[in-house]
Amino acid sequence: MVPIQIDYNHIDVSNIMDQIKAQIAERPKASPLELQQPLREGRSVEPQPQPQPENEGPAGPRSRAKRIMLKVMKPFAPLIKFLVLPVHEELRQTILSLDRTNRRLDSLCATMEETQRRLDIAVEDVNQRVNETNNRVDEAFLQISRRNDYIKLLHNLSHNIVVELTKLKIEEESLKSKARIMEKDFEFLQKREKALEKLALK
Amino acid sequence: MKLALVVQRYGLEISGGAELHCRWVAEHMAKHAQVEVLTTKAYDYITWKNHYPHDREVINGIPVRRFPVDKTRNPERFGRIQNFVLQNEHRETDELRWLDEEGPHAPALIAHLKEHREEYDYFTFFSYRYYHSYWGLQTVPEKSILVPTAEHDPVVHLRIFRNLFHLPQAFIYNSVEERKMINSLSRNETILGDIVGVGSEIPADISGERFRSKYSVVGDYILYIGRIDENKGCHKLFEYFLAFKKETGSPVKLFLAGSTVLKIPSHPDIVYLGFVSEQDKFDALDGALLLAMPSFYESLSMVAVEAWALGKPVLANAQCEVLKGQCLRSNAGLFYESCEEFSEALKLLLSSEKLRQAMGENGRQYFGQNYTWEVIEGKYLKILDQLEARKREGA
Repeated sequence: MVPIQIDYNHIDVSNIMDQIKAQIAERPKASPLELQQPLREGRSVEPQPQPQPENEGPAGPRSRAKRIMLKVMKPFAPLIKFLVLPVHEELRQTILSLDRTNRRLDSLCATMEETQRRLDIAVEDVNQRVNETNNRVDEAFLQISRRNDYIKLLHNLSHNIVVELTKLKIEEESLKSKARIMEKDFEFLQKREKALEKLALK
Repeated sequence: MKLALVVQRYGLEISGGAELHCRWVAEHMAKHAQVEVLTTKAYDYITWKNHYPHDREVINGIPVRRFPVDKTRNPERFGRIQNFVLQNEHRETDELRWLDEEGPHAPALIAHLKEHREEYDYFTFFSYRYYHSYWGLQTVPEKSILVPTAEHDPVVHLRIFRNLFHLPQAFIYNSVEERKMINSLSRNETILGDIVGVGSEIPADISGERFRSKYSVVGDYILYIGRIDENKGCHKLFEYFLAFKKETGSPVKLFLAGSTVLKIPSHPDIVYLGFVSEQDKFDALDGALLLAMPSFYESLSMVAVEAWALGKPVLANAQCEVLKGQCLRSNAGLFYESCEEFSEALKLLLSSEKLRQAMGENGRQYFGQNYTWEVIEGKYLKILDQLEARKREGA
C-alpha cells in the first residue's frame, strides 16, 4: 500500500482525503459477513475476547478453504465485487431521498386521481344541469316564437278588420246618401202625384 | 442605535446552540449599540415550560425582557404532526399547525414587537424555525435581520419558510453551505447578507496538564464536546471508534464532555466526563490530540472553531456539509463518511504529530481570519452600516 503523501508546508485536506479514499478502494474486499462483523461488535457494550481455534492459523484449513473458494469464484469476481461493495453512504442518502420523493409523488398521484374522479363527477353533474337548462331555454324560445306568430296573426287580423270596417263605413255613407236622394226623389214623386191627382180630379 | 435581539431562550445556564450564539453577539455588540434581548421565560427546549420568574433582568450587563409561553409543547403531539408534515402531502395550514406546536408559543412577545416597533432600529432574529422568528419577521419585516442557524434537516424544505426567507432586510449566515442552501431553496440571493458565524472567547489561561491531573488522565485521548445524542452522530462515533480500536489495538481513549441522552457503551477506553465547566472544557481540548465532531446537522460548530483556535485538528462527519466545507476551507481537519474512512483518517492523524501540528496551525490561522470577535463585530457593523445607507437612500 502506497503511504499517503503529505506536503506539510501546504496541507491540502482534499488531497489527503482523496488518497485515503483511494487506499480504501484498493483494499481487497471482505465478504459481507466480514464487513458486518466490526459493526456488530462496535454496538456491543463490552467487547468480549473471541476464542481462537487452535488449528486456525494463517495456513489453517479455513484459510485453505478460503483460497480454494476464491479460485473457484474468480470468474464471478466482478459480480461478487458489485454485490459485496458497500453502497456509498451518499448514494444511500440520495436513494433514500429519491424514495421519499417517490412516496410523496405516489401520494400526490393518488390525491390527484381522487381529485380527478371528483372533478369528473362534478363536471358530469354540471353538464347534466346545463343540458336541462338548454332544454328549458329551447322550450321557452319555442313558446316565444309561437307567441310572436300569434301576435303577427292578431296584427294582420286587426288590420284587416280596420280595413273592412273602413270599407263598410264608406259603403254606409254611400248608401245613406243614396237613401237621402231616393227620399228626395220619393218626395218629388209624391208632390207630382198630388199635382197630377189634382189635375185629374179637376 | 438600538438593537433588539430576539431569541427563543436566553440565560447563562444555556450552553450551546443559537441561544449561546445570541448571548455572545449581544454582549459584544453592546460595545457599539444599545442592545436589548427579547426572549421567553422558557428554559427547557423540549416543552418550553416557563422557568424564569422575572419579566425583566440584566444578564452580563445586557437588559433582557422575558415574555411568558402560554402553551407548552406536547412532544408526542409535536412528533406526530412533524411526521405527518414531513412524510405526507399537506397544506400550508398543516405547516402552521406544526409551527404552532413547535413553539415557543409566546404571543406577548410578538405583541411587544408590534407595539414598540418604533423604539428599536433593528430586530435581529435568531433561528428561523421557531414561532418567535416566523411571526416576528411577519410583524416587523422592514426592520428585521435574520440569523437563520439553518441546518440541512428536512424542516427547512417546508413551504412556509420559502416566503419567510424573503422577508428580512439582511441575513447573517453561519457558513457558506448554509447560505447556498437557503439561496437555492428560496431564491433570495438579492437580499443583503454575509457569512459571519460567531466568535469565540478563548480563556488566557489554558492547561492540558491541569486537566490531566484534575481528572487523573493517563495516555493520549481524542475528545468529543457537546450533547451526547443520536442526532449528534454519537452512536456512530462509538461504533467507529470501537471498530478502530479492534482493528488497530491503539491505546488512544475517547473522552466525552457534555450532557447525555444516549447510553454510552461501557468500555474502558470510552470515558464520560459529564458536564464540565468552560475552563475544564478548554483545558480538555488543550490536552487532546484532536476533536471528534460526528454531528450530521450543524449550521456552525462552535466547538470546532474553538478547537481550531487552540490549534487542534478536527475529525468531522463528512455527511454534515458545513463541517466538511469548514475542514476543506481551513485545511485543518479530516472527515469521514464510513467506518473505514474514520479508521484511516484517525490512524493518519494519530500517527503523525507533524500533520496534527500543521493542521493545528492552519486552524489557528482560519480562526484568526474568520472567527475572532473583532472580525465578527466588524461584519455585523458593516451590515448595519449598509442597512442604514439604504435607509438614507430610501428617505
